[in-house]
Amino acid sequence: MPANGLTRRAFIGSSAAAALAARLFAAPEGSTKPNPELENLAAAALREAKKLKASYADIRIIRYRQQFLTVRLNPERGTGKTLEVPVVSDGGSFGFGVRVIVDGAWGFAASPLVTQEEIARMVGEAVAVARANVAIRSKPVELAPVPVYRERWQTPHERDPFAVPLEEKLELIRTAAAEVKKEKGVFSSSCNLSFRSEDKYFASSVGSSIQQLNLQTYAMVNATATDFKRRLTKSRRYQPQQVTAGYEYVPLMNLVENAQRIRTEVIEHLNAPPVTPGKKDLVLMPSHLWLTIHESIGHSTELDRALGYEANFAGTSFLTTDKMGKERVGSELMNIWGDRTTDRGLATTGFDDDGVKATKFPIVEKGIFKHYQTIRDQAHLIGERESRGCCYADNWSSVPFQRMPNVWLEPGKSGTSIDDLIAGVDDGILIDGDGSFSIDQQRYNFQFGGDAFWEIKHGKKQGMVSRVAYQSRTTDFWQSLDLIAGPSYWQQWGAPNDGKGEPEQINSVSHGCSPARFRQVNVIQTD
Amino acid sequence: MLTREQAQKITAKTLSFSTFPECDISVNSSERAFIRFALNDVTTSGFTVEQSMSISSVRDGQSGSTRVDEFDDDSLREAVKRTERLATIAPANPERVPPLEKQKYPELENYAASTAGARNQAMIPHIRAIIDGAKANNLVAAGFFERSAETAAIANKQGNFGYGRVTDAGLSATVRNAAGSSSGWASQPAVLIESIDGAAVAKTAIDKCLRWKEPRRLDPGKYTVVLEPTATGDLVQMMGFGMQARAAEEGRSFLSKQGGGTLEGEKLFPEFVTLRSDPFNKLYSALPWSGGGGFGFGGGGGGAGGGLPAERITWIENGVVKNLVYDRYWAAKAGKQPTPFPNRMVLEGGGKSLADLIASVDRGLLVTRFWYIRVVNPQTMQVTGLTRDGVFLIEQGKVTAPVMNFRFNQSPVEMLKNTLAMGTPVRVRGGEGQGMIAPAIVVKDFSFTSISDAV
Repeated sequence: MPANGLTRRAFIGSSAAAALAARLFAAPEGSTKPNPELENLAAAALREAKKLKASYADIRIIRYRQQFLTVRLNPERGTGKTLEVPVVSDGGSFGFGVRVIVDGAWGFAASPLVTQEEIARMVGEAVAVARANVAIRSKPVELAPVPVYRERWQTPHERDPFAVPLEEKLELIRTAAAEVKKEKGVFSSSCNLSFRSEDKYFASSVGSSIQQLNLQTYAMVNATATDFKRRLTKSRRYQPQQVTAGYEYVPLMNLVENAQRIRTEVIEHLNAPPVTPGKKDLVLMPSHLWLTIHESIGHSTELDRALGYEANFAGTSFLTTDKMGKERVGSELMNIWGDRTTDRGLATTGFDDDGVKATKFPIVEKGIFKHYQTIRDQAHLIGERESRGCCYADNWSSVPFQRMPNVWLEPGKSGTSIDDLIAGVDDGILIDGDGSFSIDQQRYNFQFGGDAFWEIKHGKKQGMVSRVAYQSRTTDFWQSLDLIAGPSYWQQWGAPNDGKGEPEQINSVSHGCSPARFRQVNVIQTD
Repeated sequence: MLTREQAQKITAKTLSFSTFPECDISVNSSERAFIRFALNDVTTSGFTVEQSMSISSVRDGQSGSTRVDEFDDDSLREAVKRTERLATIAPANPERVPPLEKQKYPELENYAASTAGARNQAMIPHIRAIIDGAKANNLVAAGFFERSAETAAIANKQGNFGYGRVTDAGLSATVRNAAGSSSGWASQPAVLIESIDGAAVAKTAIDKCLRWKEPRRLDPGKYTVVLEPTATGDLVQMMGFGMQARAAEEGRSFLSKQGGGTLEGEKLFPEFVTLRSDPFNKLYSALPWSGGGGFGFGGGGGGAGGGLPAERITWIENGVVKNLVYDRYWAAKAGKQPTPFPNRMVLEGGGKSLADLIASVDRGLLVTRFWYIRVVNPQTMQVTGLTRDGVFLIEQGKVTAPVMNFRFNQSPVEMLKNTLAMGTPVRVRGGEGQGMIAPAIVVKDFSFTSISDAV
């Protein structure tokens, strides 16, 4: 995708290192190729790596910027007067990381000093790491082939969120938080907006040179209600879809209108009776189901987990490599894609951190597990010749490894509505929003809560219930899927902070789906 | 990494750019070296250098913050200017506390030059011991060895300055059989890298893996459990988040009293339960102030919680809730002394050996560790999670059979209330969180709610 001529306000423009970062990542009108100054810095790294006998090398030079604004409205201790407590921060980070393969072993080093000298020094450190590790290496690293690219890519957007005046953003979040607090029974409320940009340059000894700008936009509105007599607190949250987009997405979130909705719903939640536990049908909204998809299917189809690379931390997978292409994991309705190209998905990008162009591939087809998420140094281990473009590092100082793309569930037939899902339920629960989540180290047994729960009786949605969680086994759960709402209901939610790896790294990823119905799932009553 | 003199110079320079009455700074520089291994082979490994400065400026209660990792004069000047611009636009914060006056920080440094200087060559023999041990038993090892060193400083316009250095290291390993039907795990966190023993880690993980064969399927339900120290730490470390006075007073905590008020001063736990924060414990390396820097607790440049001198503090003493967490704002409102945030936690023990504890149980389960622990209800502190890497049946005081993993739904608060006996505390770090110093414990009525097929 060509650059769209973004003009950044030079907020940190007048300083030395910061000025270098601003200059390196500026996007002149019509520019479709990486900045030559970045290419020169990278060339120094690749030259040094070649000199030190690295068979492969890459460098990522990255500038991050994060802006976070929040206001919380809560009663003052002693007086009960409502106080508005703001937090405003705007910071960044700039540095580089180099990877090398020497004698068949990986080495990595990173530093925040982006100069030719420091880059050369850290290439030496990365080579030293690799050389030392040869002592415990049994098989040399093998990389799947990749085409050479010289490109520039950025998140499609219309309005740079960092260029929008703070006053405008503060006005919005103050209004939304105040709307929630208008309901007398609300104890406290909050609203936040945050933006993250990642200016990333990648170059490798393969010959690629890729400059990208990834932009993420987040918001949230919270309401908390407390009944001191009953020693009971409940919350309700409006979590807009988290997106890769610019500020043009913020008005679409309708923060104020949704603030008015949740201030009523939090009171309903506080007074909702506890669920009666037992086997029940579940109608799960996209704001909730995304997390179940993420944990049960997203993570179980990561090749590094299946092979045992994560055995010491995140765990392995019930989907061992012998099951690829034939194992039934869900009902015929279940079609799931791995996809780094979805519109506004958090893992959507132009190229991964191996320099592989973003891809889309089937993970589950009609309930059968088809493909793993892969990167260049693992594709050959399952007999594949190309990476599926799932390599990512969460920082310039982090080692790139296999991370999840957007993993999404195909919608049901056109015309299937949420009312159709509910109409077929005699005794069930409708769940909106995510809550507590936990799944075992091979992704079999899980437990999910939610943000709000409504009882369904005899085909009709009833009042709210509380203290709901459901437990199931991944394959039992997905085989109980019997109806999915149509494409017009399809929406993506996601997480900015999915954890994996040692040292632990985070990843941002979205999971689209339409509301879906699952039969006879074990519902428990929590505290 | 920044020396004290360099830290003094750079913080003074940064403060010289400030035009507001208040400017708080926290600066960190760190180095880490790490090796990851899996499938009896090295995987990823690196050496990284990082630095960052957090700056917060305040005028008339209006505050703006930034983070920067470029330390040249122009970058720092611009960063201070940015915070002042942000503060000019931000609404005034009615909960802002005055800046810290000059503090007297304790002499607290447990910094190991051996750890700070170690590179891959120092770690490889231990990893080789694990891989060789696994291979000798036809098993497959995965694991992680990391060492880190950090220097940190805080400073503000009121003349407060603090400097500290910390080091830490940790080796953990998971050993599985080739069929993937058995798994064992062990871990050693340590300030001194030379106290880490790869052969000992290998022995424990391999032994667990070999013993956890063809596990028996038991019904979920309430069991008496013997939690190994890591399992105890996995759950008790979460209690730190539930100790805030504000949450208790606002009705959001297990320490909230019905009708209002808190349970501070009440005896909720057995006599032998004592829980402290102890940054001076030699098993830890800590900064001389609380709430700032040091592996996982960022900030601390003088906000509502950070920057106070580090201190030992007892949260639960002989079963009585002795102290709640008061940040500086809430302490001022409540007429209390502010406290540090629970960190460097120590659950005191009863001195019994693990074998003694197992021998005391007629029928129960021995648990190696827990995994994927998440809060279900913050008010009761009910959490859910799973057992991992070794659950065994205890019958008539003896370990008799491996058992399949369980999911639990259990509050660590109720767990401590139901604790029957305690072993000798050791430093532990499981798969999640910072870890703590904790003993093995015996607990009655621990609630397992379903079976997991996971290995």
